[in-house]
Amino acid sequence: MTRDSTPDKQDAQDGTMLQKSVDRRHALKVLAGGLAAGVQAVSACAPLSAASDEEREIRVLAWQEYIKGNYRFMTEAERAETIARLERLAQLRRGEDVTIQTTGAQPGVVFGYAFNISKCKGFRRCVEACINENNLDRRADTQYIRIFEMEDGVINLDEADATFQHEVPAEGHFYMGTQCFQCADPPCVKVCPVKATWQEPDGITVVDYDWCIGCRYCIAACPYWARRFNWSAAEVPVEEVNPNQHYLGNRARKTGVVEKCTFCIHRTRQGRLPACAEACPTGARVFGNLLDPDSEIRWVLANKRVFRLKEDLKTEPRFWYFTD
Amino acid sequence: MLVCIAASGIAVGCSEPDGAARKHIGPGANREGDVELAAGAGTANREPGALKTVTSAPVHDWTGPGDQPFEVALRTSERESGHARRFGSVTLQTALRARLLQQYPCTSCHLGRKLVMAGKRVADAHQDIRPVHPEQTGAHCSTCHASEDVEQLTLESGERATLDETYRLCAQCHFRQTDAWAQGAHGKRLDGWQGRRVVMGCADCHDPHAPALAQRIPFRAPQLERSRGPDK
Repeated sequence: MTRDSTPDKQDAQDGTMLQKSVDRRHALKVLAGGLAAGVQAVSACAPLSAASDEEREIRVLAWQEYIKGNYRFMTEAERAETIARLERLAQLRRGEDVTIQTTGAQPGVVFGYAFNISKCKGFRRCVEACINENNLDRRADTQYIRIFEMEDGVINLDEADATFQHEVPAEGHFYMGTQCFQCADPPCVKVCPVKATWQEPDGITVVDYDWCIGCRYCIAACPYWARRFNWSAAEVPVEEVNPNQHYLGNRARKTGVVEKCTFCIHRTRQGRLPACAEACPTGARVFGNLLDPDSEIRWVLANKRVFRLKEDLKTEPRFWYFTD
Repeated sequence: MLVCIAASGIAVGCSEPDGAARKHIGPGANREGDVELAAGAGTANREPGALKTVTSAPVHDWTGPGDQPFEVALRTSERESGHARRFGSVTLQTALRARLLQQYPCTSCHLGRKLVMAGKRVADAHQDIRPVHPEQTGAHCSTCHASEDVEQLTLESGERATLDETYRLCAQCHFRQTDAWAQGAHGKRLDGWQGRRVVMGCADCHDPHAPALAQRIPFRAPQLERSRGPDK
């Protein structure tokens, strides 16, 4: 199974390069020279005896992934290459057959969300759908959505209980869900030191998991506690993995990166509802295009009494609460 | 695509009960056997062509009430008496419901299609019905069910509505809810935010005889405690 390791010219050249004391940037450049060069370079460094073909392929792909650029500055060809690598890696590492999209924002679309606090009964069906749809870590039990149980007449998140586990709706209580509000002026984006998180043209704030350095400034900056950190790589049983993935959304997360709700970017950019809105059995969740005057969300904003959470912070959330 | 769903969910070959075949409106009614049955029972498709069904694509990954496969035939709002004309510009479609009436069609007991049972005998025959709503409102069977054809609904105006049109019945009192529903701000949504907009009808979620949603045990609580600031 081991590869024929007869050193050719290229190999020898790379070998000498690595033995010399070169600076890291130069070395990376040389190693990134191309697939062939990369394969040989890595083979030259790696202990060949123990490596099967698959292991070697994983090592090469992982290396090429490691040195790729920021998603926003990639050309279409580069994006296609990284998608091919990520899909192959998912296959090799975890036996998952996934499809990763790079679907861009639709022109003339800015997403908005409205949440009816008169309707929500606290069933948490949205939470369940979100976990399944977004391949959230089952081990740490990551959840994007949080449903707060509050006593009638008071909106005080400090006193609210998000860990209720009794029959709902409870007498004299109402329920209020929080998740990422996709702020129009997001503080989490401002604080990112490496520009690994940004706002897309349709208003969704996304994270490039391969550019994030895990400093968690964004977590500290978010006033809504919308972001989650992966202390270990997300673990999802193979049979439960949602294969419909987006580069900026629900693809596999690795150790030490921040993730967040993306309004199910892989669904909503294709005209579908976010999983939470589709799962809600009470119809408390309204989703739509803020720029379309005929959309449901615009009707809610025009006809219902709406408010936003912590509006005084001027983050301009695109997530409104309303009552019947 | 619809054909597959219909085959698995509704029209299970010959084992289909007669009543169900009679109830078919839409794709199922095009089959020869159904038309014959319908003609024989004297219940020809009501208002031919009035109930348009869209047979393009199924609703994404969704199963209907009770997790049974649900036929995705949809009412378009092209119909003049539909909510689209009455409530505004958004064209919403509702999932059809009447075709779910299969195993125990009303006419299997209500012979001659008459609504004759009254008073306490209702509780004997319909043990599954909790008449909360009728008790609250002082209504009785024939307030909502057409007395000469129990598989239809009756409106205050004397008009008849099919079981697909529960919103017309409910709207007579719950006009604010209907208004919000027709604009997509009330009711469980199916399919997408773009293109076809589908919303479930009133009776798909609310039991018409006891409309309040029942209490349930919620999905598991989050494990991770949220941060509450330095002083908490």
